[in-house]
Amino acid sequence: MVDLLLAQSAFPEAMSQHVLAHYLFVSAAMFTIGLVGFLTRRNLIIMFLCTEMMFQAAGIALIAFSRFHLNYEGQTFVIFVLTVAAAEAALALALVVFLFRKRDSLSAEAWAEMKG
Amino acid sequence: MDFIVHPVLLFVALAVCGVGVALSIPRRRFHAGLIGGIIAATGVGILITALGAASLADGSPLPNLFFHGLAIIALGSCLQVITHRRPVYAALYFILSILSTAGLYILLAAEFMAFALVIIYAGAILITYLFVIMLASQSRVEDEEEGISEYDAIGRGPVTATIVSFALLATLTVMMFGGIREISPPGAAQVAQAETVVLQRLPGKVEKALTREGLMNPGESVAGVERTEAGVFATVESADGGTRQVALPETLTPTNTEGLAFNLLGEYPGTIEIAGVILLMAMLGAVVLARKFAQIDEEAKATAAAALAEGRADAIGTLGADVGNGGGATSDG
Amino acid sequence: MTMLSMPLGALSNLVAAADGPYIATGEAPQWVALIPALPLLGAVLCLICACLNVKNKAPGYLTVGLLAGSFVTTLVAFLGGTDNYGVATIFRWIHASIGADSGTSLVSNFAFYFDGLSMLWMLFVTGLATVIGLYSSEYMSGDKGLGYCRFFFAFNVFVFSMSCLVMADNLLLLFLGWEGVGLCSYLLIGYYYKKPEAVAAAKKAFIINRIGDLGLLMAIGATFVVFGTVELRPLFEMIAAGIDANGEAIGGTWAVVVIPLLLTAGAFGKSAQLFFYVWLPDAMEGPTPVSALIHAATMVTAGVYLIARMFPLYAADDAMIALTVVAWAGAITAFWAATIEFAQYDIKRIMGYSTISQLGFMFAGLGLLGTTGAVFHVFTHAFFKATLFLCCGAVMHGFGGQLSLRRLSGVMWMKGFGITAVCMLIGCLSLSGVPFTAGYFSKDMILAQAFATPGDMIGGAYFIGLLLLLTAAMTAYYTFRVFFRVFVGPKYFEPGDDDHGDDHGDDHGDDHSHAHDAAKEEPGDALHTGFHPHAPGWAMNTAMVLLAVGTIVIASLYFVNKKEDHGWAGTMVKYSSAAYASPGLGHKGDGEKKDEAVGLLPADAEAGAVMPVSLVAEGVVADEDATAKASGTLFGYDPFKIMYYVSAVLGLIGIIAAAWFHGPKGLAGLGIGNRVEPAKVRMDAVAARFGPIPRWAENKWYVDELYHIVFVKVLLVSSHIYHAIDKLVIDGIVDLLGSLPRWLGSLLRPSQSGVLHSYATGMVAGSAVLVALIVLVALL
Repeated sequence: MVDLLLAQSAFPEAMSQHVLAHYLFVSAAMFTIGLVGFLTRRNLIIMFLCTEMMFQAAGIALIAFSRFHLNYEGQTFVIFVLTVAAAEAALALALVVFLFRKRDSLSAEAWAEMKG
Repeated sequence: MDFIVHPVLLFVALAVCGVGVALSIPRRRFHAGLIGGIIAATGVGILITALGAASLADGSPLPNLFFHGLAIIALGSCLQVITHRRPVYAALYFILSILSTAGLYILLAAEFMAFALVIIYAGAILITYLFVIMLASQSRVEDEEEGISEYDAIGRGPVTATIVSFALLATLTVMMFGGIREISPPGAAQVAQAETVVLQRLPGKVEKALTREGLMNPGESVAGVERTEAGVFATVESADGGTRQVALPETLTPTNTEGLAFNLLGEYPGTIEIAGVILLMAMLGAVVLARKFAQIDEEAKATAAAALAEGRADAIGTLGADVGNGGGATSDG
Repeated sequence: MTMLSMPLGALSNLVAAADGPYIATGEAPQWVALIPALPLLGAVLCLICACLNVKNKAPGYLTVGLLAGSFVTTLVAFLGGTDNYGVATIFRWIHASIGADSGTSLVSNFAFYFDGLSMLWMLFVTGLATVIGLYSSEYMSGDKGLGYCRFFFAFNVFVFSMSCLVMADNLLLLFLGWEGVGLCSYLLIGYYYKKPEAVAAAKKAFIINRIGDLGLLMAIGATFVVFGTVELRPLFEMIAAGIDANGEAIGGTWAVVVIPLLLTAGAFGKSAQLFFYVWLPDAMEGPTPVSALIHAATMVTAGVYLIARMFPLYAADDAMIALTVVAWAGAITAFWAATIEFAQYDIKRIMGYSTISQLGFMFAGLGLLGTTGAVFHVFTHAFFKATLFLCCGAVMHGFGGQLSLRRLSGVMWMKGFGITAVCMLIGCLSLSGVPFTAGYFSKDMILAQAFATPGDMIGGAYFIGLLLLLTAAMTAYYTFRVFFRVFVGPKYFEPGDDDHGDDHGDDHGDDHSHAHDAAKEEPGDALHTGFHPHAPGWAMNTAMVLLAVGTIVIASLYFVNKKEDHGWAGTMVKYSSAAYASPGLGHKGDGEKKDEAVGLLPADAEAGAVMPVSLVAEGVVADEDATAKASGTLFGYDPFKIMYYVSAVLGLIGIIAAAWFHGPKGLAGLGIGNRVEPAKVRMDAVAARFGPIPRWAENKWYVDELYHIVFVKVLLVSSHIYHAIDKLVIDGIVDLLGSLPRWLGSLLRPSQSGVLHSYATGMVAGSAVLVALIVLVALL
């Protein structure tokens, strides 16, 4: 078992489609959970957390495909996804702080009126 | 289409899963986090089992136990993120899910990404989240229970959201499970060729390995690596200009980090630049947005100026107090 | 050209070579452009004066000077004789190809067509405009400033437009002028734009004119369709040849009936005939010089001009349908307007109705084929009616806008009104047709023509003649009714409430203020302390005298070329498109005309009736008898001879009746004393016996009310109906169409909650559907 974990190399044996399907299912499930969270939670911070979760799910899928095809493109993309996530987090959190100062609330519904 | 899991079973499992998730979403009266979690886990379990059964039926190996464990931890902690009423806990559960995801990355032979994920996500982004949660979560509303804000305590339309989201999941998984057999993994030769390409870029690594193995004498250098029918050979150049072919040892393979580095810096240098600029912009934006707008009214300024002229030191303190009030006034507006 | 082919038989050799109506083929000198150009310059100068806020009489004198220049130009052109007759192209205006293949093109230059008709018209238009301009420079001085500039601006534009109308080389330019005079008429009727009546009258005139203008416009269109041109010369050539643009004969086609009838509609609108007359009396709301120039002398005769100008087209119809319509309409209008005048008390309105009546005479003359008489009557009428209006204006000006017969009396004896009274008398005599006045000769020609024209050419010509005779007597009566009541009798006046004449301090200077002080000395004035009639000044007197003298002098024109052309007007008409061998009055020395008359008639009975005319005209044989037989007779005599006596008698009867019913009672009434109440006249007692009829007549037979009900009310009701239809049906449909999206929107509106979650939910659902579609496509 430990051997299975540690004997990993950059170019292991090819992964089967079924194993890929497992990973992809986990990715999709995580994405869906993030989606449900985004749609149901009203706390702006949690909503952003959920978007991060969806990024992460996408990362799993990308790396699984990277592993499946035995190239590095997927991992490279995950780096960029991380970059975007970081940038998004920075801006989003700054915005959340800003909005919180305005309304004293983190509720997304506090910003529901469409005037101005 | 050749489904590896029968669509009906898929839908049933997803429905069960969806019911579980919907139940576990916080709501005003009835909040069955645990029960919902169990039901959702049941649904996921059914599907994983079905997938495993399909693997066995096709004679392909199952993913190892670590995968199952890490997947359960990741999904479970994700469910906790969206169902927990306290944002701090949600963030902490998210860190847990990141950690288990990093484990999955390791299982997928992406060690660099696994550690990058832990460092960037868990170490930086989520810590920032925690800070912001602590900054912004001190709710001043009176009628909250146990210090939990109303908007944290009650989810918004859990049923609709779950139905919609699981409909999307259903379609995605149907597509996935239906089409998974149509993609094929690369052959061994292809893998070896890709490996060779990386090694060709790493003459120092090859030299070091050959020296360690005693296959290369001091004073010689590796001129190139090439792959033939017999195996992978390094062209070793002696000091006098003569060359000879040396078979590389089996253990000499490029690491994940090396491969990723060549891919990233070799193929996407411009994108890295752009990513850098995006990060810089985000930083600037964050600084500008999160800044407190100090409003010093003219009267206070004049008073302070007059006081300063008189040499009274306490005037500056007054001004500072005004700055604080000014910030509050801004947030009211 | 084609006429000789007609079965004239042996007589054809007696007839000179025929060439249709006179067509001016020469080149008119370019400098005739000065005639319209000078008034246009005047208009521009008046605008500049308005911009400079000129407060003196400069615009008026400028106008008079420029119009005098225009008149002199016309005079020079006239003295040039027939050499100047022709076309003067000033600049290219419209050259449009109609259809690529047809080869037809609409050519309409800014060009002037000079022949006797336009020359005659221009003479009195510019001449009268000059004199009346002079009169206005004083009359309008109460409004010095912007109003003065405005008045003379419109005045100048009017003369410009009228020149374009009269001298137009093509129907489009004519139409331009036609609309231009209509516009100026509108502007000048509504000159006192603060007076609701004036504004209403202006609108009425404009709208009623529009109806007629539609006819004219359609006629122009039809002319272009049929003849392929709107230029007069080619048009006349084609009509003379009796062909249309395709070379087919026009005789008996719709063109020669419909186009003249449409033209007639236009002419009736402009000249206030038949149903269209109602605008003219109301137009008297405008300043009196305007009434004199536009609504008596010049613009209203544009209709007569139009018919005279297009007379060849009228005459091209064998059945003379349009001419019969014109004749009857003119006679009926003449009579109708005369009846209304019997009971009118506003002197300007009486003159307005009189104008309608006299225009009716002119139309009747045209319709009865007597173009010479009609044109001559236009000319004389312009003079004497302008004189009358100017005199009325002088009275009105002097008495603070007083216009009522009942409130003025013995003006003749008042200080400074002598000239006015004499001029008025001359005008009245001329209008009444007292022997040896201008009106006498011109009206006689029309009256006689009615009996000379055979009934089988113009249906009921004899009855038209009787109607016109009756009207002539009535004319004399109503004219002198005004004279006797206003000018003769004991001195009496009540000032009008219009005080626009009161602020003439600067005109009459100290003279006026002295008079003001002395007002109480005049017993007749005792009731109206503070008001003193002010007599017309030099400008108005000069204008009135000039016109009165003109009225006398032009009578002599009847004897110019009497033998050859039946008067000067006949000479002018002879060299114009209106040339026509009137029955019983063939023009001597222009054989072509008779030929045309013959040629245009079917070769049976009518030919027999007219052929002798040509014989007489040629002075061949058996002139008197043949004429008398061919044309109608009156009591067995040549109408042109006996009418001298008949109309003189009728006129005198009218005058005596007026003197009896409206004159002062007995010689004592002529006394120069003053009165404190309006004079009683015999007519008051007589009128009482007729029950309500005088009241009906005073109310103009309720025609305005009838029109109000028939047209305005119907229009209002129908517009309400349309409004309702518009509201319910059209708007309903539109609203329905609008409410459908609104209803759909209201269904979708809740989705726009502004809440992030609902949008995100929609987005997710959409992606789910999208992916599902992809899967389904892959599955299928």
